[in-house]
Amino acid sequence: MEEIAGNELAIEKREQAMLELADFDEVVRVYRPRILRFLLSSLTDRDAAEALTQECFMKAWSARHQFRGDSSLSTWLTRIAVNLMRDHLRSRSLRFWQKTRGAALDVMDISDWIPDGRSSPESITVARDRVAAVWSAVKELSAHQRTVFVLRFVEEMELEEIASTIGMNLSTVKSHLYRALAVIRERMGEEK
Amino acid sequence: MKFGREAVNQSESDDTREEVREMAEALSLYRSAMHHLAEREAARPFAAEPRPARTLRLRLILAPALTAAVAAGVLVPVYSHFHHRPTTVTDARNAQPGPADVRANVDDTVLMNQIDSELSEDVPDALRPLADPSDPGTNSSSVLEKKDVAKE
Repeated sequence: MEEIAGNELAIEKREQAMLELADFDEVVRVYRPRILRFLLSSLTDRDAAEALTQECFMKAWSARHQFRGDSSLSTWLTRIAVNLMRDHLRSRSLRFWQKTRGAALDVMDISDWIPDGRSSPESITVARDRVAAVWSAVKELSAHQRTVFVLRFVEEMELEEIASTIGMNLSTVKSHLYRALAVIRERMGEEK
Repeated sequence: MKFGREAVNQSESDDTREEVREMAEALSLYRSAMHHLAEREAARPFAAEPRPARTLRLRLILAPALTAAVAAGVLVPVYSHFHHRPTTVTDARNAQPGPADVRANVDDTVLMNQIDSELSEDVPDALRPLADPSDPGTNSSSVLEKKDVAKE
């Protein structure tokens, strides 16, 4: 009985995802901020993040007939973005003589950001310092560690979903996340 | 009240808890900052055009080839201009005629021979019509009449 109910739920989810994909303008409107945020957090490069976001939706449009609804639309789009980012990083490492960081983001770019629930200048400064510490630590992570970290702590995805998105075992995802957190913890300890 | 090892454990546990709390807070702040940054960037108009990696690679291959071709196109005429030897009269004399010159010479020879043959043509024979019928010296009938008169 439970199995039948589970199958029905899966079919319903799949149909919903297929229906959602039919209106592609709406898909772009809803998911573009999320994809851009993921790429921006991972690459810290405005132009590259924008370009890859556009390419992600172009690829999704051309491959929309291949989407079977096995995963959520969000997971599918994130998977495309992860693959594009991988290719981008690979080609950037080959183009070592070229200008690779066109519009690099800096921690100073969040100078207009005011954390929630903080009003005093001291508490705002403390919060920005903490963000700066995490920021610099994230830049030191390997590509896999950074991807897993961003998907978990910026996009708030479940570990199983991350594993499915980037095509890794759950244990490998946990291992990358553990190492990433160890580096961040260490850097934050040094900052004190 | 706790003493000895139990107190140390309690203290370490508190430190760890505090560290974890700080870490969780830092991660939460980082998430908030990245969301803020992404929202701001999403609102900004995008100017840069996407460049497929394949096009870039192709451009990297074609750019040096195109540069070399342009350089060759410019340098070869310049080099040949400055290293061109002017033709002298001696050279012109010594120069062997090319195929076009030979053909022109043949045509000229034929023409000259034709003109020469027309100018140096022998006096027309008896069977040939007279060139000028008004000339009495060249009229065959009057010559015969003169001979007959002399016999008489």
